[in-house]
Amino acid sequence: MFDSSTITLIFPWIILGFGIMATMLASSVRIETRLPAKLLTIFTLVLVMITSAKLFNLDTTITINGFIEVSHLSCMTLFFISAISLIFVVGSGGYLEKEKLHISDFYNLVLLMVLGASVLVSAKDLFVMFIALEVMSLPAYALVGFRRNDSRSNEAALKYFILGGALGAVYLLGASFIFGASGSTQLSQIFEWSKIHNGDVLLFLVGHILVLFAFLFKAAAAPFHFWKPDVYEGSPVAVTGLMATVITTAAFVVLVRLFHMVDFQSQSFVPYLESLKQLIRVVAVLSLVVGSTIMILQKNLKRLLAYSAINHTGYILLGLLGTMSKPEQIYSVWFYLAGYAVISCGLFLLLSQSETRNDQGLELVDLTGLMKRNPLVTALASIFFLSMAGMPFTVGFFTKYTVFMSSIASGEVVFVIIAAICTVIGAYGYLRPVALMVMRDPDPTAAEFNGTKSNQALIIMLAVLCLVLGVFPQALIQLTKGMELIP
Amino acid sequence: MENSQQLTALLIWPMLGSILAWFIPKASQRIYSLFISIVQFALVIYVAYPVITQTGQGLEQTLPWLSDLGIQLSLKLDSTSVWFVLLSGFVSFVVLGMKGQWYRRNTRLFSSMAFFLIFSINAAFLSSNLIVFYLSYEAVFIPMILMVGIWGSSTKANSVFRFFLMSFFGSILMLVSIFYLSYLYFLKTGIFSANLNDLLKLSNENSPAMLWCFAGFFLAFAIKVPLFPFHGWLKEVYVNAPAPATIWMSAILSKLGVYGFIRFVGPLFPEAILSAQGILLALAAFSVIYAAFLAIQAKDPKALLSYSSISHLGFVMLGVFSMGASAKTSAIVLSVSHGLTSLVLFYLYDLIVKRKEDVSLEAYSGLAKKFPILFVCLFIGVLASVSLPGTFNFVGEFLVLIHAYPVSALCTILAGIGVIFGAVYMLKFYQKLGFGVSSDAQVAEVAEDISGFDLIVIVLILALIIYFGFQPSLFLGGMTNV
Repeated sequence: MFDSSTITLIFPWIILGFGIMATMLASSVRIETRLPAKLLTIFTLVLVMITSAKLFNLDTTITINGFIEVSHLSCMTLFFISAISLIFVVGSGGYLEKEKLHISDFYNLVLLMVLGASVLVSAKDLFVMFIALEVMSLPAYALVGFRRNDSRSNEAALKYFILGGALGAVYLLGASFIFGASGSTQLSQIFEWSKIHNGDVLLFLVGHILVLFAFLFKAAAAPFHFWKPDVYEGSPVAVTGLMATVITTAAFVVLVRLFHMVDFQSQSFVPYLESLKQLIRVVAVLSLVVGSTIMILQKNLKRLLAYSAINHTGYILLGLLGTMSKPEQIYSVWFYLAGYAVISCGLFLLLSQSETRNDQGLELVDLTGLMKRNPLVTALASIFFLSMAGMPFTVGFFTKYTVFMSSIASGEVVFVIIAAICTVIGAYGYLRPVALMVMRDPDPTAAEFNGTKSNQALIIMLAVLCLVLGVFPQALIQLTKGMELIP
Repeated sequence: MENSQQLTALLIWPMLGSILAWFIPKASQRIYSLFISIVQFALVIYVAYPVITQTGQGLEQTLPWLSDLGIQLSLKLDSTSVWFVLLSGFVSFVVLGMKGQWYRRNTRLFSSMAFFLIFSINAAFLSSNLIVFYLSYEAVFIPMILMVGIWGSSTKANSVFRFFLMSFFGSILMLVSIFYLSYLYFLKTGIFSANLNDLLKLSNENSPAMLWCFAGFFLAFAIKVPLFPFHGWLKEVYVNAPAPATIWMSAILSKLGVYGFIRFVGPLFPEAILSAQGILLALAAFSVIYAAFLAIQAKDPKALLSYSSISHLGFVMLGVFSMGASAKTSAIVLSVSHGLTSLVLFYLYDLIVKRKEDVSLEAYSGLAKKFPILFVCLFIGVLASVSLPGTFNFVGEFLVLIHAYPVSALCTILAGIGVIFGAVYMLKFYQKLGFGVSSDAQVAEVAEDISGFDLIVIVLILALIIYFGFQPSLFLGGMTNV
């Protein structure tokens, strides 16, 4: 049942599949042959970006057999995910070289992860979602443990794998409950069912919450966050960056879809909506508080960023809370994800430049007095940190702005106040590294920052993007407003 | 209101200065900064002139920026903001002419940050959209933190953090209040807007929500001014900051808080202020007295000046909380005069410090003989600070007391007593610095009396203080029922 239009619709995935096979072949020839694999990966990702960009001007949403959706939302996320992966692939060559990880398997696994993430963001069926989730997660486990001689890397991989596997099982259990209650695994049919359904929804609610747990785990919302600091610390920086951006984005797209799985306008789901809202409130507030307060105690920079990611998850959930009664506010979530990805992309690429003397990873004290030795890196890092803190004239301000606005518009004032206080606490956490860099005299034992040219250029580009979006966020907001959620 | 395209120039020019500073050689940074800031001041005068001469009339300009987020870049220069903008233009030009280590170390960063600061200050004073105001109000932190952090004294890190966290805490709650107000407006009209003119339509509502929003605004501005008991951050930062940053903070940034009260809190929450007026006036009067006591006990002269700054701002707040158009004008007059006085005092103190190594008040003595001209100038500054009749401060404090008296006699009397304390600590300050047994060894070798740019500028400021002391009518156009 192939007609030509379907093929154009799934072109990005076909290209990704070919890319994965080609890079696999490249690694089977000789494991040290990395240039062909790298070039192939770049080529594949660029092609994916082009083909998904071609689908932007699609006016309608097309669902292929009820399983896969091709819409503005899925195409833009796909474009975005491949762009970010491209940035990491181009920018982290020097780092991989330095860590002696530069083998073609890395690229193969990254492409596999992108494939999983890209199917995940378009999945409209609970089982397609599960398969895509596993396709995304398995390479991620392998990538986390990529430094095989490092015990922390191994620990992180094992922890991530076991917890991820367990939560996968929880997801399946939840999906079976949903199937039992509604009689379908397709999101659109579940939506239709919820419109006409009258009566008990308890089984469905349990299933729904279990399914959500799995993705709240992937997005590292508290109290499902315990793996995050260890995994961030243990994995190679480039992988941490990919996790912070690609996996978070994919997980949130699915989370939003799953939250809006039922029609909240329908009569029997009114109390249901309230209990679901309660769940997000608890998780969001916990993430905000845990993320911001524990962040300010961290000494290791990657752990700090892990808690910062938990904190940001809280903001995004707050935005999600705002969309529960006003679905048109969904753009605030996308905008936050895009802005956050730009910032963390830059920050993690910058971290990949660092060379510490010991093998303990980059500690905060390693930044002491960096301004005197390396003003450019200091300026770039300060832009990213201030952006994370949400200072004006950086993209971080407007991401928080839209999220706060959307949740106040749906009446969640108390939670916005809590989030605002957490912003202040978090700002202290982000300001600490900046203060160390700027205000102290240089420390001869501190870390060195040496990046390759492509890495440096990318970081500067991202920093400029951070500032430009901090003054003119309109274009991005317009784009994200086009990413409507279609049940 | 006249529509005017000139207001954006007040934003574009300093921004341009901030960017171009990176391309100017280090040696000529001071000249460059002086040039940019003088042109900036001239621009301010040019734009402000029609507003001052025909009071009541203002300039307005609206640019589309982020209208779909409820943000509009609407600038407004009227009889309230014009004085603050003028003051900031003047102070910036004086400050950037000061010599110091900021023109030796990380010079480009200093000039760039200084102009970014001027840009944000101008944007904050001009904006009549609350979100844009918040943005610029927050943006002020970035250069301020860097200035204190890089050119400040050794124990600066903690003070910067306390300053930043306290201010940020206040202002982010203000942001939440702004959102909530916009939301209320949205519920009423269906349009999401944070423009002051739109939100003013909510001001006659008297609901608990409005009281909470008032609390958010109040906290932000009370920390910025600062008002007792929110002054905890001030002393450490003022003492540790380099002279330009101290002057900017005491002369301009504290006025951002005052301006916020006059411009936004007063019109938006008249009911809330009236219901809390007793407490607010008492806080202001207590600030005056309490800070004066702290100043009397201070060992470090810079700490003494910082506390005196709090004390004077207590007066300003007394004027602000008395409500009414004339009280507002008197608060503005006192704000400007306090800006000029603290500018001259901190400036002269910096000159003295450069001639001395030890900064404890006990260690100073007998400097007046060595530097007679400098100390004559300082004496005039001190007299201005204790509000001697014939100085600008006197006009301001007198007007404030007149307008506060009918509202609350007790608070006015309390604050009036504060003036006496003011004389106590300022004279102590002058006596310790200038008189006593001269000890030659402590004076730096190269020290010479005030001269050149410093002298010209100081005389200019003192002349302004005295001139406006006798001839304040320029400011009093908005005054109705004196």
